[in-house]
Amino acid sequence: MLKKYALLLGAVLALAWSSTYASPEDDRMAFENYFTTKFPGVPLNDFKNGIYSVDPVARADWEQIEEFPPYELAVDAGEAEYNKPFANGKSYSDCFGDGAVRGQYPYWDGERKEVITLELAINECRTSNGEKPLKWNKGKIAELSAYMSYISRGQTVDVKIPEDDPEALAAYERGKQFYYTKRGQLNFSCFDCHGTGAGKGVRLEKLSPALGHATHWPVYRSKWGAIGTLHRRFGGCNRQVRAKNFKSQGQEYRELEYFLTYMSNGQEFNGPGARR
Amino acid sequence: MKKYVMSSLLALSFAVAGTSLAGDEFEAAWQAADDKRKEAASMKSEWRDTKKMLDKAKQVAEKGDMDAAMTLVAMAHEQAADGIAQAEREAVMWITRVPR
Repeated sequence: MLKKYALLLGAVLALAWSSTYASPEDDRMAFENYFTTKFPGVPLNDFKNGIYSVDPVARADWEQIEEFPPYELAVDAGEAEYNKPFANGKSYSDCFGDGAVRGQYPYWDGERKEVITLELAINECRTSNGEKPLKWNKGKIAELSAYMSYISRGQTVDVKIPEDDPEALAAYERGKQFYYTKRGQLNFSCFDCHGTGAGKGVRLEKLSPALGHATHWPVYRSKWGAIGTLHRRFGGCNRQVRAKNFKSQGQEYRELEYFLTYMSNGQEFNGPGARR
Repeated sequence: MKKYVMSSLLALSFAVAGTSLAGDEFEAAWQAADDKRKEAASMKSEWRDTKKMLDKAKQVAEKGDMDAAMTLVAMAHEQAADGIAQAEREAVMWITRVPR
């Protein structure tokens, strides 16, 4: 019995050692390899389409939906909002230029020592110009993000973890730990559903693979009947496994986004998306 | 007559004392469960429904159903303890799921 426990402990420690000393790029390559092995018929650059990359029936529906995409109104509303001047006469273009900046987020801010996401930057642009911040999950912030993502389509995911800043690596590692940690009464990690469970059915839906998960946000979900942000979805996922969700744009979800987007480095940004 | 009045008063005082005792017991159990919930939250492992159970327990207790209230508190306490155990386990086990 003792020998059995010793062997188990040894195996966990060996895994811990090998994973602790894996670089982010080692992680990403192993992550990519996991999904390309699991779904051998799917071209690497198609994982950005989420569940539609691995479920032909759902893909056929989605391709029809994309002919009149439900996020179109949100993109238009986002464009109008983007071009509307603030009370001080400035506008979003003073912060983001032409707005096609999706590919620059999320990034590690070495001075502030934190991960900056697109939605966080949008609200900071507002507050620095004397405007009230928007609510994080839906509405105007998702519309602005939808417009900025739409005009950024085709940009390559290229999240950087500065090698000269150990705190950036620590933030990445915390996001990674969050991703693989089981939570809630149902005892699921993110990877349990979107890694080992990817392609399997949950009630009437199939679970999407995690590779490419961060490329297509914000998303119009039929379930929401509206467009919503990635952090809104993070919160929903946590609640679905009966864990208490964390605050949108809080440290936990921003670092989770940092890790998850890094895992999709090399894929194309193709937001906004449409999902069921 | 005096005898009946005395025994009624005595019964009433026992009932009041009983309610108060049950109330004290409930308050202590509720606080212990809420402390446990906060401990789970500090480990980022609070479960979705624990706080809801504690809120519901207070509502039920205010209506006087102390048995149902205490059952809810016990369930919340157990959830919080399970969340803590989960966090302790996952602090070691999460890494076993990382693809290599």
